[in-house]
Amino acid sequence: MTDDQTDSVPREAPALELRGVTKCFGPVVACDAVDLAVRSGEIHGLLGENGAGKSTLMKVLLGLVQRDEGTVLRHGERVEIPTPQAAVALGLGMVHQHFSLIEPLTVWENVSLGEPGRVKRDEVCDQIKTVGERYGLPISPTARVEDLSAGERQRVEIIKCLRRDPEVLILDEPTSVLTMAESQELFEVLRDVVAKENRAVILISHKLAEIMAATDQVTVLRKGSVAFRCRTSTTNPRELAKQMVGREVSLGTEGAALGLISEDSTPEEVQAAAEETPAAAPATTPTGEPTTPALTIEDVVVKGPDGRTLLDKFALTVSPGEILALYGVEGNGQATLGDLLSGLLEPASGTVAVNGATVPLNKVGSLHKAGVGVVPEDRHRSGVVLDMSVLDNLVMTDLGRVSGRFLLKRREARKLAARLIEQFNISTPSMDTPLRNLSGGNQQRVVLARELAGDPSVLVAAQPTHGLDVGAIEDMYARLRAAAARGVAVLLITTELEEVMALASRVAVISSGRVNGVLDIHEATAERLGMLVGGEAA
Amino acid sequence: MSQDAGGSAATAGGSRRMPNIAQLMRPSERSVQVALITFVAVAVAVVASMFLVAATGGSPGDAAEALYTGSIADTAAWSETLKAATPLLLVALGACISNRAGVFNIGQEGQLLLGAGVAAYVALHLALPGVLVMILSLLAGALAGGLWSGASAVMHYTRNVNIVVSTLLMSFLAIQLVSFAVTVPWILQAPRASADSIASSESAQLPPEVRIPGFGQYPALEIGGGLIVSIILTIVLAVLLGRSRWGFRLNMLGLNPMAARHAGVRAPWLGGTALALSGAFAGLAGAIILSGQVFRLQPALSNNFGWDGLLVALIARSRPIAAVPVALLFGALRSGSSFLASTGVPNYLVDIVQALLVLAFVVPPVLAKVRSRGRAEATPPPAEPVPASTTEPEKVTA
Repeated sequence: MTDDQTDSVPREAPALELRGVTKCFGPVVACDAVDLAVRSGEIHGLLGENGAGKSTLMKVLLGLVQRDEGTVLRHGERVEIPTPQAAVALGLGMVHQHFSLIEPLTVWENVSLGEPGRVKRDEVCDQIKTVGERYGLPISPTARVEDLSAGERQRVEIIKCLRRDPEVLILDEPTSVLTMAESQELFEVLRDVVAKENRAVILISHKLAEIMAATDQVTVLRKGSVAFRCRTSTTNPRELAKQMVGREVSLGTEGAALGLISEDSTPEEVQAAAEETPAAAPATTPTGEPTTPALTIEDVVVKGPDGRTLLDKFALTVSPGEILALYGVEGNGQATLGDLLSGLLEPASGTVAVNGATVPLNKVGSLHKAGVGVVPEDRHRSGVVLDMSVLDNLVMTDLGRVSGRFLLKRREARKLAARLIEQFNISTPSMDTPLRNLSGGNQQRVVLARELAGDPSVLVAAQPTHGLDVGAIEDMYARLRAAAARGVAVLLITTELEEVMALASRVAVISSGRVNGVLDIHEATAERLGMLVGGEAA
Repeated sequence: MSQDAGGSAATAGGSRRMPNIAQLMRPSERSVQVALITFVAVAVAVVASMFLVAATGGSPGDAAEALYTGSIADTAAWSETLKAATPLLLVALGACISNRAGVFNIGQEGQLLLGAGVAAYVALHLALPGVLVMILSLLAGALAGGLWSGASAVMHYTRNVNIVVSTLLMSFLAIQLVSFAVTVPWILQAPRASADSIASSESAQLPPEVRIPGFGQYPALEIGGGLIVSIILTIVLAVLLGRSRWGFRLNMLGLNPMAARHAGVRAPWLGGTALALSGAFAGLAGAIILSGQVFRLQPALSNNFGWDGLLVALIARSRPIAAVPVALLFGALRSGSSFLASTGVPNYLVDIVQALLVLAFVVPPVLAKVRSRGRAEATPPPAEPVPASTTEPEKVTA
């Protein structure tokens, strides 16, 4: 800290510097005397688990939260940031982790949203085009946001931010919804922004590969204080992982969650990682064996409200005891498949069979009854009822188990819930707490506990680790493996290659609503998967 | 049970231990806050009302006294209050059902009048023993209200017609239908008293044997059969909403239709019946006004009971038990308002007082929510620290 200051004296003052910034929420210390210096022309990685204080720190910078102690300096001068407007005036811009876009509006409308004065449509559209060309972020200003993929939405967010010409650009977990190719593109853009225009970038992430590949400096936050800082070139992923978690992590399993297996990994490395995972081996049923599959999806066609084909003769089988990963770029029909298996929509044609028996898809709740448990991609949308209690959320899909003919048996429900809370290690003040008050990881555990409580034959896990921190990811992996080991057919819908490699025994690739190929995990090299994802044969 | 939950939380959260019982018994910070703001808001509403009385040339003291005399000063006044509270409570109970399911019926005024109309038709045209006719007329009234709002449910689930809009418009239609029915001799219009008198737009009086019996007679406390029915329904509904599978699913549907569907809830069926039931309660309220209180169908019979009942449910926040005191309060304002005229204060001032009270009760929870959301945005990242910040303060108080 002091050495950092003496360090900075001879050189030009950093574009942005935080000294001893502390922020408490009641008795919780979110940030504890954090020092951070970000120079122009460099990308500064901010690494830490969820809850390490990264977001709070950034909120202090953006004027969303007022610090309790400490100072903020811009080019060596003390500044105050009482409001978000002040932050903009100081040249600080942030791209948030969760998109703050309004879906029914067009790109240019979203970009100009919140700006005072008259709306100048053509001017904004031109700016979007110029900014897009300059940084390689092509986007049509008149496209509706709801029609855009996650990657394109991210692009809109970045353009929105860059248009205001910030000197310091903050990106919060920018790749959590992006595919590998999209992430790479993003980092190229960032490099450009930094190199050509001498801006400063703060990249918040918990993916090590990303930090290693994209940043110049790295600061690791742990439990609110700075645990480690150095030049990125002088460290390695193992060291960073250790500093972030506060202990050693093994590369094969948890490492995957941290993104240690990067896209540059050689096939051998990937395979080594895959072999290191315990339950990765297809337990009893190698592909092609004539046992009855637990889940058979045949020729399912689903059309969107606008007539677009979302699933196109989609066919897939999952055997008991295996983890089959469905890998692909987001927006290729995964969400539709998740909805289908959650019983939220009826296909135009095709069948779904569980253990050989065709499920009447026109009857609400029939899939769940047939033994399909689902951990949905967006748990707030269809997985939980936020305003009901943990208890209610744990029993709601199987009310029959905890009720008589009309009335619920509260006592039995509580017994069941208590068991699940303990078994799945759900951290909650009480089972009567509204689910809203639980952390993301614990909400996800509630969903998983409930869906597994009914002893399903099939478990569909759609992006099950999205937005979770490392500890929760480890836990989720272990539970998915355990489920498979018990004979549950696990269908893992994911966009993270690391997750595929860490968990699956087979991988199916989805592209434009169809399965473009199924590979055994040992044949799945990054190249072959890449080809399949891109819609080619491999 | 909660011990276990706390235990696992403690193991997961390190060495944290929490006092569970005390924590459960203590109202949350937010509900205390809501109660406080509500208190202030009601005080403001009362003061504003007094100002209005003074501004219209009356004396606030006299007005308050008139309200008191008319509503709760003696048993006769109490009887009037209970009479007014009965249909309010019934309408509110129905609104509790539909609100919980997330389908907002706002057409109770028409459903209530239609229920009264159909009940009158049955009571005047059915030649059966009196008690049987009475029961059938009540059921017919409920059925009519239920079918009326049920029609909106059908329109919504088959043609995606907005429920708020359709229940409202159907309500006007129902009011017109009843107004028409009492002008047509072969439907409901009362026969002329003599050949040269003018036929009025109302039905004949219900014969005494088909009226709802009650206990007590003026000036003693009168307790109508309708009141007893509505109290029983309140208790039944409170149990069903709070403890039954049906109530659980209803809540789930209202709070997250997607998750409800995943859990096997058929929204058109559950939401549709909820809407129909809310109409049935309004229809029953109309039938009870008719055969328990006024005995003659007039288009003015509904007298805003539908709208006000909806407000009762709004203040009670869709909880049947809470609807009882609110219905009593609104009933008292109604019965008290009839005494206002003698003080020179216009009668409709009571409507304004009512409106102020509704605002005073409805706004505070919203305010508290907005405030807490503002604070939530200023709290650490949404994911992990949330339980920490909610559990830590408990530790301190322990």
